[in-house]
Amino acid sequence: MTNMLEIKGLSVGYARKGLALDDVSLSVPKGGIVALLGANGAGKTTLIRAVTGLLDLHHGQVTHGQVALDGHAILGLPSHRLVRMGMGQVPEGRLIFKQLSVEDNLKVGAAIVPRGQVRERLEAVYTLFPRLLERRTQSAGWLSGGEQQMLALGRALVGNPRLLLVDELSLGLAPLIVRAIYQQLRVVGDTLGTSMLIVEQNAKLALEFASSAYILNSGRMVLSGSAAEVAASDAIKASYLGTKREQPEGDPGPDAQASQHAQESV
Amino acid sequence: MLAQVLFSGLALGSIYGLVALGFAVVFKATEVFNFAQGMFVVCGAYLAITGISLLNLPFPLAMLSMVLAAALLGVLIHMFLIQPVAGQPMLVVIMLTIALSIVLRAAIEIIFGSQGRTLNTPLPSGVFKIGELRISQLHLTAALVSWGCMAAFGAFFRFTSVGLLMRATADSHEAAVVSGVNVNMMNRLAWAIGVVLAAVGGLFLGQLQIASTELETIGLLALPAVVIGGMQSIPGAIVGGLLVGVIEQLAASYISPKSSDIVIYALLLLILMVRPWGLFGQRELGRV
Amino acid sequence: MTKHSSVSLKPAQPVSWQRWVWVALAVVLLCYLPIVLTDRAIFGVRLSNMQLLNIGMSQVNLMLIAMLGALSLNYLTGCAGLISIGHAAFYATGAMTAAITGTQWGWPFPLVLAAAGLAGALVGTLAGLPSLRVRGLYFVLSTLAVHYVVVYVFLEYQFKFFDVVGVPYNAASIGPIALNTPIRWYFFLLPLVALVYWGLSNTLKSREGRVMMAMRDHELATTSVGVDVRILRLKAFAFSSSIAAMAGALYAYFMSNATSEAFGINFAIQFIAMIIIGGMGSLGGALVGAALWLLLPSIISGFATQAGDATGIVRLLLVEHKAQLVQMIFGVLIIVLLIFAPGGIAGIGHKLRHRWSAGKDAS
Repeated sequence: MTNMLEIKGLSVGYARKGLALDDVSLSVPKGGIVALLGANGAGKTTLIRAVTGLLDLHHGQVTHGQVALDGHAILGLPSHRLVRMGMGQVPEGRLIFKQLSVEDNLKVGAAIVPRGQVRERLEAVYTLFPRLLERRTQSAGWLSGGEQQMLALGRALVGNPRLLLVDELSLGLAPLIVRAIYQQLRVVGDTLGTSMLIVEQNAKLALEFASSAYILNSGRMVLSGSAAEVAASDAIKASYLGTKREQPEGDPGPDAQASQHAQESV
Repeated sequence: MLAQVLFSGLALGSIYGLVALGFAVVFKATEVFNFAQGMFVVCGAYLAITGISLLNLPFPLAMLSMVLAAALLGVLIHMFLIQPVAGQPMLVVIMLTIALSIVLRAAIEIIFGSQGRTLNTPLPSGVFKIGELRISQLHLTAALVSWGCMAAFGAFFRFTSVGLLMRATADSHEAAVVSGVNVNMMNRLAWAIGVVLAAVGGLFLGQLQIASTELETIGLLALPAVVIGGMQSIPGAIVGGLLVGVIEQLAASYISPKSSDIVIYALLLLILMVRPWGLFGQRELGRV
Repeated sequence: MTKHSSVSLKPAQPVSWQRWVWVALAVVLLCYLPIVLTDRAIFGVRLSNMQLLNIGMSQVNLMLIAMLGALSLNYLTGCAGLISIGHAAFYATGAMTAAITGTQWGWPFPLVLAAAGLAGALVGTLAGLPSLRVRGLYFVLSTLAVHYVVVYVFLEYQFKFFDVVGVPYNAASIGPIALNTPIRWYFFLLPLVALVYWGLSNTLKSREGRVMMAMRDHELATTSVGVDVRILRLKAFAFSSSIAAMAGALYAYFMSNATSEAFGINFAIQFIAMIIIGGMGSLGGALVGAALWLLLPSIISGFATQAGDATGIVRLLLVEHKAQLVQMIFGVLIIVLLIFAPGGIAGIGHKLRHRWSAGKDAS
């Protein structure tokens, strides 16, 4: 069975910053939830941009590699085509329409849905995120951070995408809210079988939620495996300051060893 | 008489408002300050002449072809001139629109000659009186049609799904891309609308005066109108247009005919110094 | 970001004797040029109009005056990053000052020029004031508004003291030498242009100049250098406007007449076209742009007279609507340049030079 998303040997460079991704491969199985982890600047957002057709906007270029959505090669296709092909995008920074109402925001996402089903899809999103229903006529710019994130997700989900790409969901949000949102995403995954690629800095949370994970470090994929495997690995400890906080205090040993491992396990 | 002046001012102002609206739509969508909007007004007048006098089409057909030709012009301009320079600094884009106006002007003068031409339409051109007031039917028709167009656009923008997509694109280009909106298509639509609205304005201005490339200066009054009203504000553009129309007529009647332009530009300068974001604009635009 | 060519920030080259030979050659050519154009012959060999590109001394002189305008605008826009479409207003200021001091008060020519420069600086400073309040697009609009206001003042002046024919100007003379032939004008204007070019070029190389150019590209960064950017901007505006005003006075004297129509918005646009064609930020480019702008119409005219009895499209374009054809060519040229080579001719020259020297290094 083909994977929903298949990335093979992808290399991406930016005009003035050089190579950001180097021979990266990743796959998202149908119905699977995959976490992409890595420190700041590791290249996670670049990967998402390459997949979603937004590289041009940010002066980036694919130098090598292939990306396929359910078997169809998609590199070079314009973003709006990809959305129509079933790729829902929730980029970093939420990117909602601040001057439009909540409902209007969702309706924009519903542009790809056949007329008759729009109402139904909107209701589905409101059921998923009741807060949005409460605020449906309010201007999106006035929403709290968590509500805006729900809105961005809702807008992507309205179109019932086959693949959902989420970039840095937890940024700037309280853990409680992030957890609640992830729970709702799990509901979506369970009921609709939507495949998901989640880019996260908060590795712990992502690994609770995902079934498999990849770790990106300075543009290279350093580890991949099931969520449990990755959670236990040394590489994860090396890549994150966040998880270090959960180490026993005053114990530099394992960290020093871990970073060695990270470099070796390419 | 004051009422008379006000009436003409409001009528002309309605036309300016229409042209300013076209300008604002393009600006909101593509962030291009289109200095060629004045020439688009001229194009409208000459497209009307082509349809009516040169091709001898029946009036409704001539109007339809004028609108379609204007829309096509807008789309082509966006595709070949605006899109290639997307993201370039402002002077490049401004100069591009200025160069465009130069080319259009030259082309029109080559095709039609540099003298003005009379634009004859079956639109009513008589005058009727209400008490002391002489109401020019042409003025009235122009005002009504302008308001009709503005209302139609407003309805389209607010209530249709395409209008929603346009509003979304104007709100955030990147968010629109991510939501699956074909942004290029939206921008082309915006330009088509901008040129069509200017063309309709040209139809009336060409009749009220004479169709010539000199109409450009009148069309350019849309610029101060938009700034005074508030650059990113659609209602602001309309109000700005009305204000400019009224002020122009007042200045022409009570000071001197030549002073009307300068009064408006002096007002523009004042607004820029005191309240640059215009009457209806939002302060955040001060990021400029 | 457009590729602005910076002004001579190349590594300093040793001033070899070869450079001096080139300079000497250029000077000789420039001095011989007016003779060629007046006699219409080189070393006694007669040349046809077409061979001389249909250029006469008056075009060359107008070109030199335009160069002053282009240089000053480039300094303002290309180097200081202040976009102004009101440049014609400063020409008008200079012309009006020249009329008041020269025609009405009878001052000698050099003093008139100085007065024009001073008036230009003053008006320029005023015109630059909005830059303290607004930036970017709003500032451009303020320059447009300033343009209309100043030209209106000129119009009122023209009609109050003179008439619709225009404002007349006395004959220009420097001390005992009257500038009454094109050649004399040429030898007056040429060193003037060279002087202005040299002056601006030096200003740009100075510390203030460099900060100004940095300000153009990265405004935020310069505020941390401790220089008050706002004062720099006003200075740039004053400087640029005073040169433009002097050019305006020269223009008025050269044409012996000036009307307010001459300083319309189209006039201002011409200068922007010149610096875009030449390449913004490049003083040399401004010269090229001005040269092209003024000489192209002559060339087209030349073709037109050649066309003579041609019919159809050729006749329509070349003969009946020469002026429009020139406009169209310029418009298209600007558009093409903006889309494909925003750096203008200077930018293209830069690239070619890089390729050439890269090729030399490789071999």
